[in-house]
Amino acid sequence: MTDYKKTIGIEIHVELKTKTKIFSDSINGYGRTANSNVNVVDLGYPGTLPTLNVEVIRLALKAALILNCDINREMHFDRKNYFYPDLPKGYQITQFETPIGTDGYVEIEVNGDKKKIRIHDIHIEEDTCKSIHYKNHSFLDFNRAGVPLVEIVTEADMHSSEEAMAYVEKLRELFLYADISDCKIEEGSMRCDVNISVSKTEELGTRAEIKNIGSISNVGRAIEKEAERQIALLEKGEEIAFATYRYDEKNDATIMMRVKEAGNDYRYFPEPDIPFVLIDDTLIDDVKKTIPMLASERREKYMAFGISLLNANKIIQNRSLSNYLNKFLDSGIDLVIASNILLGDISFYLNKTGLDIESTKLTDEKFIDIVKRISSGELNSKVFKEILDELLEEDTSVEEIISRRGIKIINDPTELKTIIEKVIANNSASVNDYQNGNTRAIKFLMGQIMKETKGSANPELVNKLLEEELNK
Amino acid sequence: MSKYLDLSIREINDLLKKKEIKPIDLVEEAFERIEENAELNAFITLDKEQALKTAKELEDREVDNVLFGIPIAIKDNIVTKDLRTTCASHILDNFIPIYDATVIKKIKEKNMIIIGKTNMDEFAMGSTSQTSYFGAPHNPWDTKKVAGGSSGGSASCISARLVPLALGSDTGGSIRQPASYCGIVGMKPTYGRVSRYGLIAFGSSLDQIGPMTRNVYENALLLNVLCGRDENDLTSSHRESEDFTRMIGEDISGMKIAVPNFFISDIVSDEVRANLEAVIELLKKRGAIIEYVDIDYIENAVTLYQIIAMGEASSNLARFDGVRYGYSVADPKGVDELYALTRGEGFGEEVKRRIMVGSYLLSGENAKTYYAKALQIRKAIRDSFLKTFEKYDLIIGPNATTTAYNLGEGLDDPLKTFLDDVLVIPVNMAGLPGMNVPMGFGKNHLPIGLQIIGNKFDEAKMYKLAAFIEKELNLDLDPREVR
Repeated sequence: MTDYKKTIGIEIHVELKTKTKIFSDSINGYGRTANSNVNVVDLGYPGTLPTLNVEVIRLALKAALILNCDINREMHFDRKNYFYPDLPKGYQITQFETPIGTDGYVEIEVNGDKKKIRIHDIHIEEDTCKSIHYKNHSFLDFNRAGVPLVEIVTEADMHSSEEAMAYVEKLRELFLYADISDCKIEEGSMRCDVNISVSKTEELGTRAEIKNIGSISNVGRAIEKEAERQIALLEKGEEIAFATYRYDEKNDATIMMRVKEAGNDYRYFPEPDIPFVLIDDTLIDDVKKTIPMLASERREKYMAFGISLLNANKIIQNRSLSNYLNKFLDSGIDLVIASNILLGDISFYLNKTGLDIESTKLTDEKFIDIVKRISSGELNSKVFKEILDELLEEDTSVEEIISRRGIKIINDPTELKTIIEKVIANNSASVNDYQNGNTRAIKFLMGQIMKETKGSANPELVNKLLEEELNK
Repeated sequence: MSKYLDLSIREINDLLKKKEIKPIDLVEEAFERIEENAELNAFITLDKEQALKTAKELEDREVDNVLFGIPIAIKDNIVTKDLRTTCASHILDNFIPIYDATVIKKIKEKNMIIIGKTNMDEFAMGSTSQTSYFGAPHNPWDTKKVAGGSSGGSASCISARLVPLALGSDTGGSIRQPASYCGIVGMKPTYGRVSRYGLIAFGSSLDQIGPMTRNVYENALLLNVLCGRDENDLTSSHRESEDFTRMIGEDISGMKIAVPNFFISDIVSDEVRANLEAVIELLKKRGAIIEYVDIDYIENAVTLYQIIAMGEASSNLARFDGVRYGYSVADPKGVDELYALTRGEGFGEEVKRRIMVGSYLLSGENAKTYYAKALQIRKAIRDSFLKTFEKYDLIIGPNATTTAYNLGEGLDDPLKTFLDDVLVIPVNMAGLPGMNVPMGFGKNHLPIGLQIIGNKFDEAKMYKLAAFIEKELNLDLDPREVR
């Protein structure tokens, strides 16, 4: 069974984050009242003509550049003709002959091995409207009709579910970071179709297409299950039908939707209502400037500053936190501490309040001040937690908040020694425990000291002095 | 009965300005004429109530432009808000648009009064208007004859003096050929000159809206209003508006005019050729330079047109599926039956034939073999025309090979209507402006028209020559005198 090789190609549709639709000025918005973002163009009314949203060209060009594609400098749109109730004009405006980008690649990493997945092409097209089936009725929501999409088609370069998942995750991360799409698979703004075949020889087997897989982990599950199904058939000497499947999460199985007829005839021809679009160097340079630092580069930088892979990934998953942190890359502050408090108490606060970090009162100066005070021991985590709400909600400086609260960090070793000696004298049992090898007893003693100083002692200094005292 | 509608638009404008007449006088007169000539079947839908209401509203307004208060008829493939727009098809016979075409907005801004929607070939597919679901319009010069097509209703109502202004559309001669058959002036402007937004598409890369009028000057006046860049139509030109009447009356001596040999070959009837030759003699006498030229592939234009127009039409007409608007078959068993029966019952024979041929032409490898090839040769035709215009101001020839023929003729021969358009189609293929100006009559006193073809965006120069010929020939173009 293991001598079968899987061959996988992936087609991903991504909705572009534009204000308006691709061919009309209706709002491009998700989750609104059905048929509220609709005009005569979206409905395919007789006599209407498409306009072209320039924002779409810019975002698609950005995507093509990120995917390292060759750009079609002179491109046009084509009509893909077929009948379906969700297709108001009876054709979809897409790109067939001149996709905006071709021959690109995406680099993925699986178990430490890097690999390039080749991109056959990326092209622009309009979304169809959404069909909702209820009992024996079908309803159509035209809000989605004309939402701009790019479709990214890979070569059949992947050979395992891990590679496939890594590719989808990588693409999601790239597009999210470049602000091309919000890439929400559950809302349909990113949709994956997987083509998979298995074979024992160099000759490829008959492929199956698994449509619209609902999550990245399900991409992996669906590939495993489909491969198992195909191998079982081949082992029995049966043939594999060229067909379209869906992945059923409940039963963890791929289910056939329809057998593909040979050579679907979409009667493509150049869209006569939209003139050729010319992409020149000025536009390309202009769009290049809008590409921000991408996730892989951020990860490398963070790790170079000593941040763990785990924490680096956690920050990257939250683009606004990552953008916030990036402001301090050259500030000289301790980025490990910075990332720890961003992921810890600050994230907790943001999740609780639903705020974005940029909409809090945590100015760059305040953040730098906090991190510096923590690194020098002037501020400890307990106090930081206590004053967090004030830091994030008030315009007051860190200095003011600390002095208003009467918080003073005791950094004077003489003052601390007096307190330590007092605590040691009052807790001889714990001291004995420590000296008998129970190192945890020191934690109790630390707690007592902090209690005595109302949390204002510099913990690192206390720790050092306490150890010295106990080991005398 | 008043006779204000026999006056020129300038004269009517003077009377309106002096308050000697009101717009409602013109509207009432137009409807009297339409009712008296109901047998012409020029209109599919009349809008008397709204037209009278609009006329009333205009009484208190300043007469601010020359077309103010003038009744106008609109071809029924141009959408009009709240006014039924059928494309002469059963599939749209209940369709009331919720928006105005760009040209309709412009017409309303100038306070012209829309009288109704004119008859035509179903979806503009035909050359005689006989494919109309509502029966064919008739030719005012002889009601047994066709008015031509596809803008047959517009040509018929202008020729019969029912209204002074009309809009037509021209994909492969549909303004010029009926204008020729009915003895009126019709202009198909340069592709892109007039916005197509709101024109129900037939062949998108060929379609163009244009004015149809009693005379050259009024044609130019109406075109002044229609053109200009429209952000809703990406194929509309960015050119500034201009006054198309500005060259009318200028001397034509020294003008260099080409006559394609194909236009005087034996495809043209003797009487048409004789009329053309007479015009050529006249022009020569008045100092124009006439030379005979060849245009590459012009004889293939009809074949190319069939491929391009039918291919595009098969896609453009896919939206009529019974889901959102128009005719929809009752209680279909599933969506496939909804499509099949709605379209099967909703479209007429000619439309179905063209959808099927067009679908075939775009199918699989055919798209390369036929459509892509046709686009290539089309470019060659255009280049050949443009090269001719490097040396010549204008090109002339006939618009139709014969005069109007009998109603009922040619219905059993789907190819005939295309071959009739052999002289007008090359202009659409090249995206150039072409017009009809009457140049004489045949033996049954049926009008014969001259085609003038200009370089792109050179409509003003065409009007100059057309106005000269109109004035010199001074033909009596009122069919009521004959009948």
